[in-house]
Amino acid sequence: MSLSLLVPILFNGIGISAIYVLIALGFTLIFGIMRVVNFAHGEFAMLGGFALLFLYHRLGIPYWIALPVGALVVGAAGLLAEQFLFRPLYGQELQGMIASLGLSVALSEAAVILFDVYQRNIPTPFSAVIEIGGFPLPQDRLIVLAVAVAALAGFWLFVRYTRIGLALRTVAQDREMAEAQGIDARATYRVTFFLAATLAALGGELFAQIYALSPYMGATPLGKAFTIVIIGGLGSVPGAALGGILLGMSESFLNTFYGASLAQFASFGAIILLLILRPWGLLGRPEV
Amino acid sequence: MARPAVLAPAAARRVRLWLAAAAAAAFLLVWPLLVEDAFFTHMATLVLLYSIGAASLHLVVRIGHLSLCHAAFLGLGGYASALLTTRLGWPFLPAFVASGLVPAAVALVLGPILLRLRGVYFVLITYSFGELVRLVFVEWQSLTGGSDGIFRIPPPHPALLTSRAYYYFALAMAALCVGFVARLLASPAGRFIDAIRESERLARSSGVPVLRFKVMVFALACGLVGLQGSLLAHFIHYVSPGAYGFAESLNFLVINVIGGMGSLAGPLVGTVFLVSLPELLRGWVQYQRLLYGVVLMAVILYVPGGLAGIGKRTLELIPGLRRSRP
Repeated sequence: MSLSLLVPILFNGIGISAIYVLIALGFTLIFGIMRVVNFAHGEFAMLGGFALLFLYHRLGIPYWIALPVGALVVGAAGLLAEQFLFRPLYGQELQGMIASLGLSVALSEAAVILFDVYQRNIPTPFSAVIEIGGFPLPQDRLIVLAVAVAALAGFWLFVRYTRIGLALRTVAQDREMAEAQGIDARATYRVTFFLAATLAALGGELFAQIYALSPYMGATPLGKAFTIVIIGGLGSVPGAALGGILLGMSESFLNTFYGASLAQFASFGAIILLLILRPWGLLGRPEV
Repeated sequence: MARPAVLAPAAARRVRLWLAAAAAAAFLLVWPLLVEDAFFTHMATLVLLYSIGAASLHLVVRIGHLSLCHAAFLGLGGYASALLTTRLGWPFLPAFVASGLVPAAVALVLGPILLRLRGVYFVLITYSFGELVRLVFVEWQSLTGGSDGIFRIPPPHPALLTSRAYYYFALAMAALCVGFVARLLASPAGRFIDAIRESERLARSSGVPVLRFKVMVFALACGLVGLQGSLLAHFIHYVSPGAYGFAESLNFLVINVIGGMGSLAGPLVGTVFLVSLPELLRGWVQYQRLLYGVVLMAVILYVPGGLAGIGKRTLELIPGLRRSRP
């Protein structure tokens, strides 16, 4: 295989992986810490896309302000969902999951009523093509990649080096012991939900720029998040990173050489195999 | 204190229940003759057909699993019946039997693998499997006609072309299938089912072959929903992959949740609401879907017993129907 073919595929794969990881990270966090499978996670990504459209395109706020502000606004909306919907259902895995299914339907249908169903594009402010080492690379993809990597690095630093991050990790490991040490588990739940919704919204903003924006677009990132966390292990943060890279790369290769439907068959086949052989994923821990 | 009643309380209650059932049956038989509008018989036929699938998912719920691929088995039944009658020219009856056997066989093969997983892992694998089946319906174009599906599926019998005639046919079929599920739940097998849901370990240590039993119940449920798939395909004369996706699987689950997961009455009440309301609110499609999501959240938060739970509590206020307690 020639290098000129390989580099765009690799580059594309990395870009897709980074967006997938952003979205899957919040999904796996919510499961790992609150034991809730959040079917509405894709809708937070969708809301992020619409927030960017509104702030950047409609209000004309500069891109580098609209991007974080949009994600934070959706994160705040996530706090509302946590407060009124998920909090009463903690400890009831299946009930929480059903509630999130209801939220998913309600959010996407509300978006249809507010914004109509057609697909839109968010025009990107970066349209140049940059040559790096002789390979032409589109600037907007480079920006997407940079933003995603920066957000992931910021998240990692936050969880690794701050007191709140430490509390998060403690609650994820053992909630009762954490509470016995004086950690307010409910506060960490709020932080988790806020972080997860913000990351998903940021992922959605980038996703909407590269692909398209529509009220039902949440299903795609949700499906990817599912696949990624099953590969990496439900609740495992490094697992989400590994799963995202594996999925993004293999999709990029299979799409190029065999077509999109084979890529989808392959990923379904892979997760069904993995769920059978190793339901806790590559980097997760088996449950007792 | 002497009782004024002639019958013992338990027997009197049984008589009243039989009377109520007879009244319900009479109502279901007579009303289509009084209402001319074909729209209502069409809608009622859909309710009857969906009650089969909803009751079959109730079986899966009762063994403690939430399946998000029930529509995939509905589709397997629908496609089996459609292909056998249109491509191979089979008569309806053998195709109908096959439409139950095909999904049941698939469930029998997959069951031992899927049913080892519990809780959210089962939900996730059934979600993936459902999408995989839908993808097969779309991609295997030479067999399934791709996204367009299969048209002009004949009715089971030339006499069943009107919706009123099909209503009576569906009523008989639904009575058979739902009656079968009710009988199963009331039998010793029903005790096994409840024992498995309450505590798998205890059931196993009491000698219940848990996995084998779950697989049998799962295969039975998938076979029943396959039968619904066939009846539905021959009613609307059309199958397509879009009708068997995640939204439809979710609908079966929501019917069970909103109706109530504790007893068979739940999915039946849920079917009446969730199948007839969208038909009645046709002009309000967008708001109706929004309402669907909001109601789902509200029921899970405030009415864990579902609509049937509310109904049961209301009925218990009527003195004659209250179960006498020693």
